[in-house]
Amino acid sequence: MSTKGTHIPDWLKVPFAGITPGPSQEKGQDLFPTGNWRSIRPVYRDKMPPCNNACGTNEKIQGYLDLVKRGKYLDAYALIKEDMPFPSVTGRVCYHPCEQACNRGQYDEAISIRAVERFLGDLGLALPRDVVQAGPPNGKKVAVVGSGPAGHSAAYQLARMGYAVTILEKSPRAGGLNRGGIPDWVLPQDVLDREVDRLKELGVTIKTNTEVGKDVSWDDLERNYDACVLAVGLTEPNKVKADGEDKPGVVHGLPFLRDIGMGTSKVKVGARVAVIGGGNTAIDCAREAFRQGALEVTMITVESNPQEMPAVPEDLHDMLEEGVELLHGRAMTAVLGNGTVEALELRPARFSGAINASPITIDKNAPAQRFAVDNVIVAVGQHASLDWLPAKFKTERNTIKVDHFGRLGDSKFFAAGDIVQLGTGQPLMVVNAVGDGKRVAFNVDKVLRGEALRPRMLATDVIVDLNRMNMTYFPHFDRVKQDTLNPASRRKTQDEVILAFTEEQAVEEANRCFSCGTCNACDNCYLVCPEPCIIRYDRSNGLYKILVDYCKGCRVCIEECPTGCLEGVPELDFDTGVVRMETAFAITQGLHGRQADELKALPQRAAKEID
Amino acid sequence: MATAAASRRTVRINGCVAAAQAAKYADVDVITAYPIRPYTATMMALAQMVANGELDAEYIVADSEHSQLSMAHGASSSGARVFTGSSGVGVQFAYELYSPISGSRMPVQMMIADRTLDPPGDFGSEHTDALSTRDMGWLMGWSCDAQEAFDNHLLAFRIGEDPRVLLPQMVCQDGFFVSHITADVDLPDTGQVKEFLPPYKHPYPLDPRHPVSHGPQIMPEQGPPLQLERARAMEGSVPVIEQAHNEFAQIFGRKYDPWLEEFMTDGADVVFFLQGGHGVTARYAIRHMRERGAKVGMVRMKTIRPYPTDRINEVLSRFKVVGVIETNMSLGCVSSGGVLYSEVCGALYESATRPLVLSFMAGMGGEAIVLKEFYWMTQKMLDVQKRGGIEKRTHWVGFEE
Repeated sequence: MSTKGTHIPDWLKVPFAGITPGPSQEKGQDLFPTGNWRSIRPVYRDKMPPCNNACGTNEKIQGYLDLVKRGKYLDAYALIKEDMPFPSVTGRVCYHPCEQACNRGQYDEAISIRAVERFLGDLGLALPRDVVQAGPPNGKKVAVVGSGPAGHSAAYQLARMGYAVTILEKSPRAGGLNRGGIPDWVLPQDVLDREVDRLKELGVTIKTNTEVGKDVSWDDLERNYDACVLAVGLTEPNKVKADGEDKPGVVHGLPFLRDIGMGTSKVKVGARVAVIGGGNTAIDCAREAFRQGALEVTMITVESNPQEMPAVPEDLHDMLEEGVELLHGRAMTAVLGNGTVEALELRPARFSGAINASPITIDKNAPAQRFAVDNVIVAVGQHASLDWLPAKFKTERNTIKVDHFGRLGDSKFFAAGDIVQLGTGQPLMVVNAVGDGKRVAFNVDKVLRGEALRPRMLATDVIVDLNRMNMTYFPHFDRVKQDTLNPASRRKTQDEVILAFTEEQAVEEANRCFSCGTCNACDNCYLVCPEPCIIRYDRSNGLYKILVDYCKGCRVCIEECPTGCLEGVPELDFDTGVVRMETAFAITQGLHGRQADELKALPQRAAKEID
Repeated sequence: MATAAASRRTVRINGCVAAAQAAKYADVDVITAYPIRPYTATMMALAQMVANGELDAEYIVADSEHSQLSMAHGASSSGARVFTGSSGVGVQFAYELYSPISGSRMPVQMMIADRTLDPPGDFGSEHTDALSTRDMGWLMGWSCDAQEAFDNHLLAFRIGEDPRVLLPQMVCQDGFFVSHITADVDLPDTGQVKEFLPPYKHPYPLDPRHPVSHGPQIMPEQGPPLQLERARAMEGSVPVIEQAHNEFAQIFGRKYDPWLEEFMTDGADVVFFLQGGHGVTARYAIRHMRERGAKVGMVRMKTIRPYPTDRINEVLSRFKVVGVIETNMSLGCVSSGGVLYSEVCGALYESATRPLVLSFMAGMGGEAIVLKEFYWMTQKMLDVQKRGGIEKRTHWVGFEE
């Protein structure tokens, strides 16, 4: 009898004929680890979706859209508030570079991200108390000059980190460009008011009617605060330097909108209004002119066609819908009229150059054209008023000179927003100012905590290639359109032109999101794993756990991941990679684990036995 | 499953039909089949039984023997009693499945009607087809006539399905000499079979209500314990086989030695050692030669797996010369002849009085071994006895003077 006297040690005991219980959710196949067959390991590695990457303040768009999908609106709102102090504002005014970058745009239509952001922002404003709270006070004081987008954002982030923040605002009301540069029918005043209130609720002090250089000196700032963020923006309108530009009846874009916004406007526009300029402010002015009583509005641009205009296409579309006429390839060379504006002198002109730096070539020899108007609004950009700034911090563009971190030399001063971004190629948009304010706030924090400022060395893997995702899982769906007021009726009202999403619309639109490169807990890997060795680890944040002792590296989960967040990483890249010779059978669970313990105990036992 | 009740009667049937009858009496649940002569007659008989309602079973005709055995494996895994069978190269084509079936401890029963392996196509009986699978963990033995075939099929189900054993069984019979020669077969009462053969019950059948994994992948160190347990099952079948034969005798009235049949071995100096149907002819030849004074006898092995080593050692040590009739071929082996020589010699090695052993290549290709050849072989054994030593280990009978 060959089997007489044989003994199978406990740690090698196997069930009858190797028949094992059915694999369980928690343990997989406990007895027979197959993980050592693997040459690659599936790893959940979230990538940067193009929307998040394109956003000026890097809102975690894929994250809040996913939460909206699941009906977790409050969580979504909290997530958006990490990067954006006022989603109700940007949900209305943003030029949404995220939507231009959206991968879904290559497939059918981009996600209407801004509309969902507005849905969340309005939801946040309706809360009796904000979800965001000030950090524990750290006893340090920071001044923020200006309450526009950059100043608001910097103050918000600093307050969250526990700083005592004081905003110095030269106007009678806080809001900066949000109030003075954006018409009511885009951003109602009460929405902005509530967002400013939210900022005050965080403990931020806002001193209005306080102008640096007049009410507060540079030295005061330096003496009274641990740090200061200059976010003064571009407050002075550019002029075209045409004859008669100082006549009554000639207004400039920014003051025109600002006075209406602040409620201090004395302008009464006539029946025929011309707007000089082709940017976003010019568009707002043209549309505002209708609402101030104009009957005919003509926009005169040096650009030779609408595509060249540095404007958001859908705003241009809405403007044309309202009846504004376009006159291209002309520059205003003089304002004609005796005491009042009667007509403009126009000459053919050509725009050549980049945004924010506009060399214009005017054909002086061509015959002048007379263009009859009652008013003209000049909206050809803004510049800064920096008389109070020490000369060493000024650039030749009349902006503030900062280093890579937004800091003025080694001083306690930092600057953010349009005042540093003008001329850098960065579009002067609300969201970019918000992002700049946020980053500068974090840098202020680092300096005040005595940490070194280091450039971010993040290599971002932006997922823009649809081939990296599995498109078979995404049926085509049309974008949910935001309703708008009838163009004919909206010309006479300050009511919002673009209407909000309903909850159903917001969810439907969020549902279209691909979640590019990020795990959205779709369960696909969990379902397709043939082993099965993927377990639901924590459904709430969409993570799964791969039981590496059983994963054979078959790649099925990787191939079938709709969003492309799963990657096959070679085993050799891991210290504990199973294909290394010394760890060929290095299994930690199941029978092997017991065997490993047994083997480890062997030398000690042998020593005892020898004794 | 229910089978029509039948009472005890004697019928004249061949070995193939006897095997089919045994499957019917065992009330098998699943039959997997693929035609190849001479086994085809068994599958035909079973098809008739299922068609006319005598037997309620799933009858699956496969596309090849490989599929046939795979289906048998799967059906057995689900807890069914499974009957299948084949011959010659058909047995070979299913080779991949033999170890998995025994390794997963599925008591599939396979009827083998031997057929010579190709080339060229030869219908005759030679045991090489089944013998080549002898180390795959199947219980295995040869019957010498239709009645013994019927009985061995019932015995094999009883032994293989015993919870102490759980191993598949090959119940072999010579093609044509047994499979196609009719003989009187005593068919039992169904009640007797019910008493002898309890319903099959696998401990862990595939069942969606109680999920289990069969045949998973294992780590290298997990193989040896499973192999050891399979070896234990094979060895552990010995007492089960003996117990089954005893109970068989009590219920059916036919008493077999489960391992060896001894024929006229009293006072014998030389004996033939063989398996299967040639034992019937050998009995006639031995009777003749005994009448002429030659002290010759026969030992016929009934079960080769598990191999009755000690019994063979004990029995064959009583003689001076053993002549192994191979009826199989093992090219380039120990004796340059067949498989049985080395199996016999291995069992005898530790004997203090071991006989001289000759290997006879007889019955090859399915040829009958005629009386004249038995006489010739007896003469060779007597010469060796007289000489006290072996001059030539292996003889190709019919090709030498």
